[in-house]
Amino acid sequence: MTDYKAVIIGGSAGSFQVVTKIVSSLPANFPLPVILCLHRLKHVRSGFVEALSIKAAMQIVEPTDKEPIKTGKIYLAPANYHLYVELGNRFALSTEDVVNHSRPSIDLSFFSASYNYKKKLVGIILSGANKDGAMGLKSVKENGGLTIVQDPNECQVPTMTLASMNATQVDHVFSTPKIVDFLLNLT
Amino acid sequence: MIDNLGIVDTKKMIAAIQETYSLDLSDYTLSILKRRLSHVLDFYNITLVDDFVNQVKRNNIDFQDLLDQLMIDSTELFRDPSLWRELKEKYLPEISRNAGSKIWMAGESSGDELFSLMVVFSELGFDKQIRVVASCPSKLRLARIKEGYGYDMKKMEIGEANYTRLSGKFEFNQFYKLDGNKAFMNPELVKEVEFDLTNISQESVSKSYRMIIFRNMLIQYNLPLYEKVIKKLIDNLIVGGYLVLGNMETLEHSEVGKKMQLVNHEEKIYRKRVD
Repeated sequence: MTDYKAVIIGGSAGSFQVVTKIVSSLPANFPLPVILCLHRLKHVRSGFVEALSIKAAMQIVEPTDKEPIKTGKIYLAPANYHLYVELGNRFALSTEDVVNHSRPSIDLSFFSASYNYKKKLVGIILSGANKDGAMGLKSVKENGGLTIVQDPNECQVPTMTLASMNATQVDHVFSTPKIVDFLLNLT
Repeated sequence: MIDNLGIVDTKKMIAAIQETYSLDLSDYTLSILKRRLSHVLDFYNITLVDDFVNQVKRNNIDFQDLLDQLMIDSTELFRDPSLWRELKEKYLPEISRNAGSKIWMAGESSGDELFSLMVVFSELGFDKQIRVVASCPSKLRLARIKEGYGYDMKKMEIGEANYTRLSGKFEFNQFYKLDGNKAFMNPELVKEVEFDLTNISQESVSKSYRMIIFRNMLIQYNLPLYEKVIKKLIDNLIVGGYLVLGNMETLEHSEVGKKMQLVNHEEKIYRKRVD
């Protein structure tokens, strides 16, 4: 039985295949909620959940505002909103200005998740072309959570992972199969 | 920006603002409020929360300036073009068939939603058929909205792309003028709009609207205030009237929201049921 309460994953350019691999490897009874904050086109509201769901055993949803966070579900930050973990283990959405040119901003999601889950959070940063997520992963680390980045050598675009490694002493640098193994070992 | 404003500091700031200005922020979404308060500290170049509290207690901070800084701009003109297309093609023509129909823009912060509606009105020729009431609790922002607000060009480019996506009838640039690096929407668009300073979270209002547009505002409230505001919104709708929310907002978490029927799931348009 894991002591963690949630997994949060941030990714941008080049992360779609990795995320697909991760979500399709997790069993339906995965014991934690998985929060995905991925940069995406703001005016394309539909199709992303469906694309990720094709091979996934877990249910993938875009959370509505104030939706309770439940174990065994994968939550994808919706287009053109920031996604926060709010007190009371619910999501909150926000239309505040873009952060790091992004809405959803990975930093903002990671800040709020680390504030709420403290050491019981696993934060993972994947391939991406900007530094959004680096300060967020630092916040996970500072709150006692576990930090993982995808191996920059494997990333299609390593900017985000390298920025994260510069920002904090990450716990693990893993290839995609290793990330999957790590998560499966939480079950 | 201070991104790690703690709960103790947040509460100190809320208490000082409440005590001095009678503005109650305690029921706002904490994640958003923390960022707004951090922004306020940055704006006033204050690094210590206790300094801010002292400045507020000495009344050194102008309330209208503070309110202006606390409010969140709406993101885009014609945010969610598919919603504006639905309004243009279906809901607004339906509403216009009832004489004396009123629409309430119940939470304007930067005029985007109001100007979007009024551009659609000008396409439909509804400028005088439907009365529009717009509420904005900030005097400074209200004055700016009446003058066309003054958006940066990035925002206008997004607005123009959205207007194209909703198949707008006109050239978008006919609706605004450039002044320096700001774009001002034509104030004539909102000439017939009735403005007020109502803050729906605090004041009671009692008017009968056929449609209320209140998009991405409920997300700023915690559950108790969300419930209270939804009740006010519903009370202000006539039976059969529409409530338009942001596309990722829902009345699902509300008891009183059960009085409403979801008639457009994609765009989160609700209709008030017969009691």
